[in-house]
Amino acid sequence: MFNYRTMAVTKRELREKLMSKAFIIMTILMPVIMFSMVGLQALMVQYRGDKGTKIEVITEDSELSLKCGDLLNTLPFVKDGKWEITCSTVSEKELKTYIEKKKGAILTKKLTGVIFIPDSSLRDKKIEYYAKTPNSLTVYEKMNGPINKLLINEFFSDKSLTDEELQFARMPVTFDGFKVTREDKIKEQNYGNIVLAFVFSILLYMSLLISGTTTMTSVIEEKSSKVIEVLLSSVSSRELMTGKILGSSITSLIQMTIWLSPMIVLISTAWISLPDKFSLDIGYGHIIYFLVNFFLGLLIYQGLFSMVGAIFNTTQEANSGVFPVIMLILVPFFLSFSMITNPDNSIVAAASYIPFATIIIMPCRFTLVDMPFIYPVLSCIINILTLLLIFPVAGKIYRVGILRSGTKPSMRELIKWIRTPG
Amino acid sequence: MQALEVRDLTKTFDDIRAVSNASFDVPEGSIFGLIGRNGAGKTTTIRMLMNIYVPTSGKIIFRGEPVGNEFRRITGYLPEERGLYKKMKVMDTIMFFAELKGKKGRDVTDKAKKYLSRFNLSDRVNSKVENLSKGNQQKVQFISTIIHDPDFIVLDEPFSGLDPINTNLLKDIILEKKREGKVIIFSTHLMDYAEKLCDHIAMIDRGKIILNGNLNDIKAEFSKNKVSLVYEGDISFLENHPFVETVSDFGNSVGITLTGKGSSQDLLKLLIENNVGVIKFDCDDISLNEIFIELAGGMPKEEYSLV
Repeated sequence: MFNYRTMAVTKRELREKLMSKAFIIMTILMPVIMFSMVGLQALMVQYRGDKGTKIEVITEDSELSLKCGDLLNTLPFVKDGKWEITCSTVSEKELKTYIEKKKGAILTKKLTGVIFIPDSSLRDKKIEYYAKTPNSLTVYEKMNGPINKLLINEFFSDKSLTDEELQFARMPVTFDGFKVTREDKIKEQNYGNIVLAFVFSILLYMSLLISGTTTMTSVIEEKSSKVIEVLLSSVSSRELMTGKILGSSITSLIQMTIWLSPMIVLISTAWISLPDKFSLDIGYGHIIYFLVNFFLGLLIYQGLFSMVGAIFNTTQEANSGVFPVIMLILVPFFLSFSMITNPDNSIVAAASYIPFATIIIMPCRFTLVDMPFIYPVLSCIINILTLLLIFPVAGKIYRVGILRSGTKPSMRELIKWIRTPG
Repeated sequence: MQALEVRDLTKTFDDIRAVSNASFDVPEGSIFGLIGRNGAGKTTTIRMLMNIYVPTSGKIIFRGEPVGNEFRRITGYLPEERGLYKKMKVMDTIMFFAELKGKKGRDVTDKAKKYLSRFNLSDRVNSKVENLSKGNQQKVQFISTIIHDPDFIVLDEPFSGLDPINTNLLKDIILEKKREGKVIIFSTHLMDYAEKLCDHIAMIDRGKIILNGNLNDIKAEFSKNKVSLVYEGDISFLENHPFVETVSDFGNSVGITLTGKGSSQDLLKLLIENNVGVIKFDCDDISLNEIFIELAGGMPKEEYSLV
């Protein structure tokens, strides 16, 4: 299969793709997109759009109300005028009437909400929030800490505790993660690998999808421009498909290596280093595994995309037909995201050994979870077996499809193509 | 010696039998024409020769061995539906097709430049294919077909879409390749071209070979009792005349088949007696077009073989 004919096709693909504007633009654009996505997400977390929030905090006790006012007015977002908080006293019995009175203001958003701190909260810390959108995470996140502090202060005010003891009681628990590895040392865990897993996941998703659709379009173009018949007079359909897939896969591998080169520089030199919180806990083996896995993934998905390209006559038709193949990339991509919040997620762990899914999920797991190297090797073996299964089937459909025009084939016809001898 | 032997070649697509038990031989050093009307099965037969279609049954023997990669390597193929990579440059295109056949290097580049010059394309070496006219794209396609100096040249409807000047240029190159001892196989529905160029033909109709062999032998066999006439005047009196079996009008000439009751000399005498101006009178002559119409014009006939 690997002869001068396959090589000629591979070389043409490489020349055409590596020299293309699309390749150069994409190689530069992808890191920009990545940084923009991470930056945008950080910006969205910071920007809550809560300027002008008006909250009324009601207590049943006037003394507590005063203390509440004193405490809440020291909050930075109140001080800088983004939030307006007023405190007043209403008894639990009158609360219903009071809320009824405020209903108009709440519904017209003149008042964001009313927080009711009943006396009973000093026993069970249960408070009530009345608003048009009571499930606002912003109100919860911003008010939870100060109100907790208020209740703690009030609860311990008659318990004759020192300021130091009180300060301790107010303190939240801080989790410092330490990664227990098979090596001797125990390392403090940071965010570097979480960000890396996120980056790996996006890179695999985007690159597999883009290179796959490019190959699919190129197969359709060869069909529609009739160049396919000339090619088939010199090369067999299998040689042609292999050459095309190899050319496209090598191009994408070069592109991925360019994208990963900053990471290779980071782990190979002490001259440049990231802040401790974001330092990367990976080695060369990790990068090599990622690239090998990516190359195998490319071969598998390019085979599928070529097959879809051969079945259809126009890009429009193919775009609808390629949906199942895209799902094979999309589902593992979303699964890999759930792993970022819980790397031990059992569903994702199982999916990391499922054909197709393993291509995206295993590199993320390997980045987040300490595991023996045999698991990524097992994933590669699964990929190779998938490839050996996919290629003959895709090759048979490709062989019949590329010379076919007219109506879309039915599933029965496709099965017939696979069964065609030769 | 036969360069290519085709035996009982059949190709079916679902319920359609595109080619049925086709058998013919292509001798070494010959120009072989596969002729027939549109949809007769010419392209399917050629695609099977080129191993693009896998035959449903039958075999193709190339110099004593089943046809395979070696045949493809030494064959240049010009398909009926021409196609090139639109974004590729002219020289890159030619070099790519040469490389697919295992040829590369300076010699191939020099040869490509010579062909481009011969086809008046020297100034378009670095042009993208999409920027060439359709005619020029066809020239590039033809150069790509012969750039690796193939022993076999297979051309599917090579003259379709060519202007008279380029048709002549193509004919010259075909004859030149024949002189070099190459085998040229071409399909056409244009009988004139086949008649002028071919040594051997196979006539295909509705998927079946209805005639095949040496063109001169075929014409000799079919021209008995035939007269080709170019005239001025009225020859309607020939209809129902006891000497004449049929009169076929071919536009510029008529083909007359004699019954045998009178000789061609008797026919000439008859024409002069009836004041018909005889411009051209060819005895025992028949055009390939006449043979084609006689064999494939009506219902399928029995197979003729003169091999």
